[in-house]
Amino acid sequence: MTETVGIEALNVYCGTAGITVPTLFAARGLDPARMANLMMTARSVALPCEDPVTHAVNAARPLLQAIGPEAAARIETLVTSTESGIDYSKSVASYVHEHLGLSPRCRTVEVKQACYAATAALQLGAGYLASGVSPGAKVLVIATDVALVDQDAHYTEPAMGTGAAAVLLSTEPQVLTLDLGAFGLHSFQTLDSARPGPTFDIADSDRSLFAYLDCLSNSFRAYTERVEGADFAETFDYLAFHTPFAGMVRAAHRKMTRDFAKDRLAAVDDDFATRVAPSLVYPAMVGNLCSGSVYLALASLLDNGDVADGARVGMYSYGSGCAAEFFSGVADADSAAAVRRMRIQEQLDARVDLDFAEYDALLQENRRCLVPEPDRRIEVDAYRPILDRYGLQRDLLVYTGTKDYGRTYEWATAGDGRNPWPTA
Amino acid sequence: MTPKTATPEPATPDREAVFQTVTAVITEILPTVAADRVTGRRRLADLGADSVDRVEIVVGVLDRLGLQAPMAAFAAVPDLDAMTDLLTELLREGSTP
Repeated sequence: MTETVGIEALNVYCGTAGITVPTLFAARGLDPARMANLMMTARSVALPCEDPVTHAVNAARPLLQAIGPEAAARIETLVTSTESGIDYSKSVASYVHEHLGLSPRCRTVEVKQACYAATAALQLGAGYLASGVSPGAKVLVIATDVALVDQDAHYTEPAMGTGAAAVLLSTEPQVLTLDLGAFGLHSFQTLDSARPGPTFDIADSDRSLFAYLDCLSNSFRAYTERVEGADFAETFDYLAFHTPFAGMVRAAHRKMTRDFAKDRLAAVDDDFATRVAPSLVYPAMVGNLCSGSVYLALASLLDNGDVADGARVGMYSYGSGCAAEFFSGVADADSAAAVRRMRIQEQLDARVDLDFAEYDALLQENRRCLVPEPDRRIEVDAYRPILDRYGLQRDLLVYTGTKDYGRTYEWATAGDGRNPWPTA
Repeated sequence: MTPKTATPEPATPDREAVFQTVTAVITEILPTVAADRVTGRRRLADLGADSVDRVEIVVGVLDRLGLQAPMAAFAAVPDLDAMTDLLTELLREGSTP
């Protein structure tokens, strides 16, 4: 049994393109007064030559390059977490395993519980590593999703993101040392949102937001029953929550203050700015990353907060349906340095700023992404005008279609060559 | 056991007072909404409340009434009448020894 387990490395991939929220509001005729509560600036947009597999590989590959081949060879479990499955039987992980070049001595598996599943995988993986049955092993969890929303989703459309978060777990955590045993759970059956078919979602926004809030209070209460003296206002230097949209997290923080730290209510805005806002910088630029959302929030916090002197982070993961967990870990200066090496802010700034016509043209094609088709050819060159405008030069795995239901991929280059990334 | 009387106990929740609390919280969260527009057949969305406003209103009303009820119960209420009925019922349950 080892006491030290956590996140060794963390990276995200949030696409090569995006559209600003004001552009989308104007084009859709949405009420601009509602932007204040949404607190979103842009959403990432996938290209039709991208899918959950390419997102996952494009998030994890720079991370594996950073740790080197010897360390990567110690990955003996690969878990993909997604609500954007591509087959009833074959996992996203099987393709990801191939294109990351992982060792054949590796478990591959896919998990599903809406936006929560990556945290379930993280906790199961952490428990496995802590057990000591395979000393030196690493577990790679990749949360990856694509968006299917269009104008029918109304105010949800500007808040939906696309992309993946790659979370490498080991007994040598640099990004976040988990507080083993410090967690609180809350789950119950509800139909708040779901994806009954490969081309559409169903959602009851009030049911979902209210379940998110009930689960937050109840999972935190369960946490306090395991962790003596845990206090919402005092125990955590920072908070990173699953972020359906940034305004939702502000409302959640306000409710938690009311429920668990009522004497601090007068200073709730200052507390939000100090402990929560750093985690929302990237989510507000990307949209809801779904399964990877809380790990994008963690990356945002480590890049935008100040953890140099050591900081305890309270994390909340919620997935519709529903399942939720409040847990925590400790970050320090090494954490910030490890995440900064991934240059996430630069990756986000490099995205092509789409105009509405370009965006609209991508939507219909993107909705075919998860549809099982025996044979399909995707002409990557059709998206070359967008890929070439990406502000960093990098290799990307792209989705080229299907052959006898098997998905096909190839490597392509994005950017015009003037700004290489990642650096050697 | 206390015998039932014709006059209500002082602690018995008054539905009208609950509705007034609902109205007061709504007009605080949505300052542009006049109190006379808040009627029982309206939904919060009819009054221009977005999802965050709806969260703030339900949280605010529960807090004002001193109730610790799950938010989920309010997801299915069709209008403000139904919300007021639910709140009144929760208060009655809460006031039952």
